[in-house]
Amino acid sequence: MALNYQDMISALQSFWAERGCVLMQPYHTEVGAGTLNPATTLRCLGPKPWRTAYVEPSIRPGDGRYGENAFRFQQFWQYQVVLKPAPEDVLDVYFSSLEHIGIDLLRHDPRLVEDNWEAPTLGAWGLGWEVWLDGMEVTQFTYFQQMGGLDLDLIPAEITYGLDRLGLFVQGKRSVLELEWAPGVTWGDVFRENERQWSAYNFEEAPVDVLARRFSEHEAECRHLVERRLPLPAYDQVLKCSHGFNQLDARGAVSVTERAAYIARVRNLARAVCQLQLELEGDADAAA
Amino acid sequence: MPTLLLEIGCEELPASACREAETQLPELCRTLLGVAPAHVLVGPRRLAVLVEGLPERSPDEWVKGPPEALRDRAADGFARRHGVSVESLEVRAGFLGIEVPGRDVRELLPTQLDAVVRGLAFGKPMRWDDSGLRFPRPIRWLLAKLDAETLLGETSYGHRFTHQQVEVASASAYLEVLRAAGVEPDAAERRRLIVAGLDAIGGWSDPAGVLEEVIHLAESPLVLEASFDERYLQLPEPVAVAAMQAHQRYFPLGGNRFAFVANGGNAEVVRSGNEAVLENRLEDAAFTFERDVAQGIDRLAERLGSITFFAGAGSFADKTERLRQLVERLGGGEASLEAARLAKADQASELVREFPDLEGQIGAEYARLAGYPEAVCSAVEEQFLPDSASGPLPQTDPGKVLAAADRIDTLTVAFELGHRPTGSRDPFGLRRAAIGLCRLADEGDLRIERSDLAPEVRDFVEERYGSLLDVPVEAVRAARRSAVSDLGAVAALARFLAELPDERLGPVHEVYTRAGRISAKTDSASEVDPALLHEPAELALAEALQRLDLDQVAERRFDEALASAAELAPVVEKFFADVLVMAEDSSIRANRLRLLRDVHEAVGKLGDLAQIPR
Repeated sequence: MALNYQDMISALQSFWAERGCVLMQPYHTEVGAGTLNPATTLRCLGPKPWRTAYVEPSIRPGDGRYGENAFRFQQFWQYQVVLKPAPEDVLDVYFSSLEHIGIDLLRHDPRLVEDNWEAPTLGAWGLGWEVWLDGMEVTQFTYFQQMGGLDLDLIPAEITYGLDRLGLFVQGKRSVLELEWAPGVTWGDVFRENERQWSAYNFEEAPVDVLARRFSEHEAECRHLVERRLPLPAYDQVLKCSHGFNQLDARGAVSVTERAAYIARVRNLARAVCQLQLELEGDADAAA
Repeated sequence: MPTLLLEIGCEELPASACREAETQLPELCRTLLGVAPAHVLVGPRRLAVLVEGLPERSPDEWVKGPPEALRDRAADGFARRHGVSVESLEVRAGFLGIEVPGRDVRELLPTQLDAVVRGLAFGKPMRWDDSGLRFPRPIRWLLAKLDAETLLGETSYGHRFTHQQVEVASASAYLEVLRAAGVEPDAAERRRLIVAGLDAIGGWSDPAGVLEEVIHLAESPLVLEASFDERYLQLPEPVAVAAMQAHQRYFPLGGNRFAFVANGGNAEVVRSGNEAVLENRLEDAAFTFERDVAQGIDRLAERLGSITFFAGAGSFADKTERLRQLVERLGGGEASLEAARLAKADQASELVREFPDLEGQIGAEYARLAGYPEAVCSAVEEQFLPDSASGPLPQTDPGKVLAAADRIDTLTVAFELGHRPTGSRDPFGLRRAAIGLCRLADEGDLRIERSDLAPEVRDFVEERYGSLLDVPVEAVRAARRSAVSDLGAVAALARFLAELPDERLGPVHEVYTRAGRISAKTDSASEVDPALLHEPAELALAEALQRLDLDQVAERRFDEALASAAELAPVVEKFFADVLVMAEDSSIRANRLRLLRDVHEAVGKLGDLAQIPR
């Protein structure tokens, strides 16, 4: 029997908890990807080992399709794992997690296809793969090299499962909306109306001038908080800027040149926050 | 002599890294081991070399020290540095030194092999631990064998999923052991297997060239045939092809069939999985396509005002208006004008956002669906042709006109904004645009007035002929300074000049350079005063010059123009023989110089012939 959506999540949770991961919960501020959760971004900085795993709703206003498209959503689900430093057998462990949720690696055709990850708004990049199962991309696997423009001391492996794609694969369904979330309840039952309303907001109602103003306010607040040496709340302001930019973009309010300027503004904030965070960690270690 | 195996076991390497290693390994082995490898085997999980005929010992080596004459002062230090006694130093050809005996290759190899691994240089390396190594993906094992002896590591590994560790009994057994463990380590053999598999199915194509990558995406390649639901054939064909090739690295077989390369698994399961993935992608594309079509190309075109062409260059609506004007200037008819109006409409479509490489093709398809005449649709489709120095040209006249207008606009606007390409930086693709324009004018026979191009743009465009045409660059330089009025004629004249036999070019060249040299400093405004001409030879020259009509050049009648110019040659020769240009009387001298200047200018309509070395 194929696992339903929530059982698949539970299976991944227990798999990674057994391997020493701190199970976090989704972050409370909109992020475009689980990578932006501070449990990944900020914990990847510095020399301290860290292992975590969590579900993250990925919020991308421009990807909404009013719940009418079987594969595109403004909110979809990722399962995020960070292993810092990356253990030598990290790929073997990852593939056994697929077996753990019921995928027979000998019946299927798992592949690692070059995909180099870059997050311009974070000043972050890494090298890795998209993982294919019979041609379907189910995971993004990345060895981070830089975060906030800083070379990383310990190279983390980031494993980002696309839960919706993985669900299609595990359940053999042709539409994300038809995935069984829980017995008798589909993905669509839970989120379709959510998609319709948020698409209407993102594409039609989100107030461009207000969003643009808020972007500048969050930017100023971030700078202020960096001055006050409070990187964690400052980082939330980076996330709000990043999401605000995505909202403006979804409204078609960002021209090609402005786009580069917005991205640079977010990147500068992220860089300042990451540097400060690293400094504070260093201070704390020195004190201890 | 023994055989050496070095295997660098990696997590799955990108195809580009495999190719980099394949290129560098032979030279690294030659330099560091002294022998080129007999086999270089590269693939996603391992880079390996097999070196045959490696000498058992390195050669003895003479280490030269100080001259014998300096024995008292320098021998001690030299001996100490090399850990030998002064007494053991030998003398050869007046120099002290020591003979260092060669060493067993087993002692040397660990260091040399480490140097081979570290000697590989990759475009995109990464770190993965604190070893300090940088490689495109983590190295997970090394194995080196000299015949049956293990120098580094312990075992190799077979196919990632079907086999685990495998023992390699000896270097020469390597290929056999791996093949038994589900791995084909030889890239050439994998290519052969894949192409044979595709050929056995037949009718395959690979417009995007994914084969080179697919070779390095599987260690155990198996070609499978599959198909997708026929209802997706309603999608424009390039969209289906892009979904197959760009995302999935499939090979289209025509219609709703495709082939792909698997690395294992149950063929039936893997096939149906891949079919589902492609259908998901096509379903997504179909959803987008239907939304676009529901809008229709005319409504898409109306939305261009809100899309920026590029910073400072206005919106795509502004660009569309400029295209219409350019098309008129280029003499385009009704179909070209209509195509210009619709050319950029697909920039507002969702499908182009998904498949940016298909701009133009998608617009053409939408124009067809809206019932526009084929001449309009194919012009929209062909507007980005040619896209290289050798790619195909537009086949239709409206296509050529639109393609030229598009490039002229991009070049003009970019140059106005100061985006001239520098070095390898050419973010707006201006070189490609200029090459396209050159080819449309020359091979496409499209008349583009040189005077319609801003001077800076014209220079930039015409410079491309230097590398584009198969003629000496001097011929292009000469032709660019001629009186030809359209762009294509620059190419035609350059070819004409380059092919001229010396006996035809010689006399005219002589007239041009001689008259030019002597009159070089004469100002260009003043005119020849007929009243100051006395000598028969100078009167004859003035008269011949009057008769000379080189406007044939503008009409591309180069042969006639050259013949006319050649008629001047004897007259000029007689002039120089009979007339003293540098006359005592300064007004007569100046007048004669002006006459020669006019000769130079008139013949110069055929080009700046002085550029052509004789």
